[in-house]
Amino acid sequence: MKEDRIFQERRARINELRAKNERLTCRERALMSVKHQEPDRVPIDNWMVPEIQKKTMEYFGCDSYNELLDFLGVDFRNNYGPSYVGQSFKKHPDGTVEDLWGVKRKTVVYGKGTAHQGSYSEVAESPLEKIQTLEEIKKYDHWASPEWWDYSKVKADCQLYHPRYCVINVGDRMDRTAQLKPMMYLRGIQQIFIDMVMNPAVVEFIRDRIIEYFVTYNHRVFSAVEGEIDIFMMGDDIGGQTGPLLSLDMWRRYFKQGFKTYIEIAHTYGIPVMYHTCGDVRQFIPDFIECGLDILQSLQPRATNMDIKKLKEEFGKDITFQGAMDIQQVLPLGKPEDVKAMAKYALDSAKKGGGYIICTAHNIQVDTPIENVVALFETYHEHGNY
Amino acid sequence: MDSLKGIEEAIVKGRMDEVKLLTRQALEQKIPVNDILNTGLIKGLETVGKLFESQQIFVPELLMAGMAMKDALSILKPIMEKSDIPPVGKVVIGTVEGDVHDIGKNIVSMIFVGSGFQVTDLGIDVSAQKFVDTVEKEKPDVLALSCLYTPTRLAMNDVMRLLKERNVRNDVKVIIGGAPIDQNYANMIGADGYAPDPPSGVKKVMGWLGK
Repeated sequence: MKEDRIFQERRARINELRAKNERLTCRERALMSVKHQEPDRVPIDNWMVPEIQKKTMEYFGCDSYNELLDFLGVDFRNNYGPSYVGQSFKKHPDGTVEDLWGVKRKTVVYGKGTAHQGSYSEVAESPLEKIQTLEEIKKYDHWASPEWWDYSKVKADCQLYHPRYCVINVGDRMDRTAQLKPMMYLRGIQQIFIDMVMNPAVVEFIRDRIIEYFVTYNHRVFSAVEGEIDIFMMGDDIGGQTGPLLSLDMWRRYFKQGFKTYIEIAHTYGIPVMYHTCGDVRQFIPDFIECGLDILQSLQPRATNMDIKKLKEEFGKDITFQGAMDIQQVLPLGKPEDVKAMAKYALDSAKKGGGYIICTAHNIQVDTPIENVVALFETYHEHGNY
Repeated sequence: MDSLKGIEEAIVKGRMDEVKLLTRQALEQKIPVNDILNTGLIKGLETVGKLFESQQIFVPELLMAGMAMKDALSILKPIMEKSDIPPVGKVVIGTVEGDVHDIGKNIVSMIFVGSGFQVTDLGIDVSAQKFVDTVEKEKPDVLALSCLYTPTRLAMNDVMRLLKERNVRNDVKVIIGGAPIDQNYANMIGADGYAPDPPSGVKKVMGWLGK
């Protein structure tokens, strides 16, 4: 941590508020909230693209990302799971690299040559997209295997953060426990949506291969860590900006059982489950609760029907919410006052009785001004106390 | 008129084979192409738009409806060309630079085609230069830009700037769409409009062209 006066001044407000508010460890605070009890302040989670991590570290004079998380009062630390020890991923001359499922990925750069330059790993080609029949799909020989991982180090990785922090087993963005997402990567988004209407057997076959993999994989992760994971996170985007991507009936038909199975496995090991989806999923929430979901991440306030006040009133006693900070308009385009108003509104609406983890609805994106990031965290501490 | 009603219903249900069959039947019954387009396909699209907006149908059904419309148009198109019926309008469409997401853009593109537009789909990760070069070459009525991420929407602004620099901004209407887009953003970058979903985007463009 840099101790120059300018950095000390920039850190002063958050330091002062934290000293006033905090009495518990991060882990105690987070787990109390998930159990719908009021801790000392609302737990804070953080998602930032690497470019914003760097900018924020520079602003506050932090020498590492962990130092930044520590200073900001972020209560969660991510565990990315076991180490990959399978065959090396095949590299192609066009620069694409195959992933676990044989899906070609590439790095896509946006904002080339501007202050907003960044990159994402994206699907370059879906191997099952052009295949016409189920019989041919059955011949595909690149399904991921739980044998490709070394599970022996996960426990020690999680222990590094204990007992102070709350450890979330998040997995990698493109390999996270899911059903629809790997199907989209394997079959192509458009084709899998067509299959849902026209070829149910194809959907079910691909889905079952994916579930088989994650069931065994997660059993092995959870038993290897021996209680050192505090929260298990899975993710599968089923919401769009103005409504769910698919109907509730279709979700029940294809995905509800797998969703429930994933949750039940974690619960067998006593681990609460966090599920990430973007978008408007309001009408799915009763089914999520019925399946035993503990935490819904990450409320996207700009999507229709996802106002935190209403959701808390309707479902707050049965499920914990994470998110509600808008990265689409308020953070990149608003003023610090707008950011403060947004964070205060969410805290005022959702903190009562616990069951709320404040966070952005997705990574804070590269187009967000630093003063808005500062306003966000200051407001978390200013209005998050109980 | 029953076959037109049938086309409308089959579009709403996304039944591709039925739409094609009914379109052929309508032609055999000597129903004018413009009536098939406007009373069958476009009416179908309007209903689909309402159902999508009110969360009664979702992306898979919207996709099927778009594909059904596109199929019907493939039957009508040779006849339109033979009878010198001009396309409803010309559209250049693509996902902006740095963004490779195309499900929304593809559905919009299909519905434009299915509504009788001539569509040049430039695909994904399209540079501002390529968009503007194509506008200069093809002189479309409308340029449609799509994105998913908030940082990639900045690339829409690059397209707007280049259109002005090359003095073609006033020759083309610009519509933008995608998850992080709203009317405020359209105003900020000086686009002519925004649409929250594919059917309403196509409807807005038809309004611009007086159709």
